[in-house]
Amino acid sequence: MGNIADIRSDIGIALRIAALRLRGQMQYRSSFLMQIFGNFIVNFAEIIVLWSLFQNFEDLGGWTLEEVIFLHGLSMVMFSLGDTVANGVQTVPELIRDGNFDRTLVRPMSSYIQAMVNEVSLRHFGLLGQGLLLLGIGMATVSTEWTVAKLLYMTVVIVSGLALFAALFTIEAILSFWTVNSIEAVNAFTYGGSDLGQYPLHIFRQGMRFLFLWVIPVGFMTYYPSLYFLDKPDPLGLPAFAPFVAPVAAVIFCFVVGKGWTFAIRHYRSTGS
Amino acid sequence: MTEPIISARGLTKTFWRRSQRKGMLGAMRGLVDRGGTEVTAVDDVSFDIPAGEIVGYIGPNGAGKSTTIKMLTGILVPSSGEVSVAGHTPWEERRQLAQKIGVVFGQRTQLWWDLPLSESLELLRFMYKVPERRFKHNLAEATDLLDLAPFLETPVRQLSLGQRMRGDLAAALLHEPPILYLDEPTIGLDLVAKTRIREFLAELNRSSGVTILLTTHDLADIERLCKRIVVIDHGRIVHDGELERLKARFSSKRQLTLDFDVVPDLASAVLPTGTALFDQEGPRVRIAFDRHERSAPEVLSLMGRFGTIRDMSIDEPAIEDVIQELYAESARATA
Ligand SMILES: Nc1ncnc2c1ncn2[C@@H]1O[C@H](COP(=O)(O)OP(=O)(O)OP(=O)(O)O)[C@@H](O)[C@H]1O
Ligand SMILES: [Mg+2]
Repeated sequence: MGNIADIRSDIGIALRIAALRLRGQMQYRSSFLMQIFGNFIVNFAEIIVLWSLFQNFEDLGGWTLEEVIFLHGLSMVMFSLGDTVANGVQTVPELIRDGNFDRTLVRPMSSYIQAMVNEVSLRHFGLLGQGLLLLGIGMATVSTEWTVAKLLYMTVVIVSGLALFAALFTIEAILSFWTVNSIEAVNAFTYGGSDLGQYPLHIFRQGMRFLFLWVIPVGFMTYYPSLYFLDKPDPLGLPAFAPFVAPVAAVIFCFVVGKGWTFAIRHYRSTGS
Repeated sequence: MTEPIISARGLTKTFWRRSQRKGMLGAMRGLVDRGGTEVTAVDDVSFDIPAGEIVGYIGPNGAGKSTTIKMLTGILVPSSGEVSVAGHTPWEERRQLAQKIGVVFGQRTQLWWDLPLSESLELLRFMYKVPERRFKHNLAEATDLLDLAPFLETPVRQLSLGQRMRGDLAAALLHEPPILYLDEPTIGLDLVAKTRIREFLAELNRSSGVTILLTTHDLADIERLCKRIVVIDHGRIVHDGELERLKARFSSKRQLTLDFDVVPDLASAVLPTGTALFDQEGPRVRIAFDRHERSAPEVLSLMGRFGTIRDMSIDEPAIEDVIQELYAESARATA
């Protein structure tokens, strides 16, 4: 990690790289749109599941269909943004295996930011579109009053959630410095976290709740802020400020993961050929 | 004596080579236990390179060349030892060091596969913060010397190996680094391409005083470019000095080519001790001898009794043979 000026300049260069690569992809516009559309359709299955769930149950732990739709939307928006930002980070295992990570270490730019733009793709925008759609429907149909404060805080929460999911993808990248085998276990936490974040946290068992609040703070990004947005009581009995810890939790989580990245770089082994 | 621009002291790198485990459980175990064997890739290596020198770093496969270069560039953190490159400890000051070094790995490209060469270079310009005018000047020069013009707009993935290598060289030099590391820059290239790259490097060193550390398995690269070679084997330096001196050390074997005026009958003849018939083509005879046993004039006069000698020449030992002998010697030493 460098100082602020370095990071700003790195981000500027990363945006240039991203723009150049996207421009290349846009030249094949129809296939580009097909990708996004395909992504949209694939993820549609989730909505069907949700809908059929409510055909059988009146509510989900005291949450109405509209409220769960809102939670789904919020979680999907965060996840898809985090996924897009960390697109290149997810290619780090490949970069390491093929010996191509070496080059990021001999350039005057953060190796992490270089990894971020190692692959640039907007295919996850299908999921984002769907998340935004659900979020919109949820916001329009729940019986809550939307204030400016709530809308502003929602922006903060989305950015925090984006950072959390990007950090989760980074953990997979960090572990790949030691093991070449793919690490499905971590993958399960990342995708599991996003799935779990779409449902009211209190319907899960104690162990899961603990894991996704205090180890991987997904619950502080989706569930708790939603209690505030939707004016719902907290059945888990945390202090009243719990809905507002999202940015703090994200910063702490990212800080720890950042340390992990630095540690990994020091232990980078490269390849023998 | 000026400060060396590259200096290594007791540089050592060991790797753990783990036994591969299958499946997810294996992957998780791989993270925690340290089972496996330790490989010492680079073992207590020390050298100094003064600014402006071209040093050939050679050794057999797996000797530790690439590992050394990776420590000198900051890619790998050594297990122990000290390195100073242009005043920086590579793995601790990567960003500052990057501005002062150019790196070419013959086996892999530094460029972006999906972008045309010109756009790759443009991106590097931003990364290295090369002023617009310097960039234009350097690009024009590289385009000229490396003949990049025909493929500047071609995506890197479509370039031939030789074209890509020239592109990589241009990319490594865009920010005018005083140090250039080259790990097998001529690997897989045809003779014309190799020659072109050698000429380019020689000229670069002559005109800009760029310090070059070069690994290669092609000893013609060494003969054309390097006065000094460092030879590494099994992670240890087995020779560091002038190429000529290495030749002198190992070149006890010489070859004398003699042209007789008639075809001499040597097949049944007894040759002087310390000499041996290498081959014969009509009146042309090649005699091998050991410099420590016989001098060339001695061999010449002794051979005179087989007929009148019309012409003669002495062959220096080929560098290949010298290196062969050196590897063999170091293998005997470690055995
Ligand atoms: N990342 C790594 N993990 C484990 N072992 C490694 C690694 N990199 C190198 N080695 C080992 O270290 C030794 C030195 O390898 P290195 O790549 O430095 O050799 P080299 O001299 O460049 O050989 P070559 O001429 O084949 O390129 C070899 O035994 C190699 O197997
Ligand atoms: Mg090598």
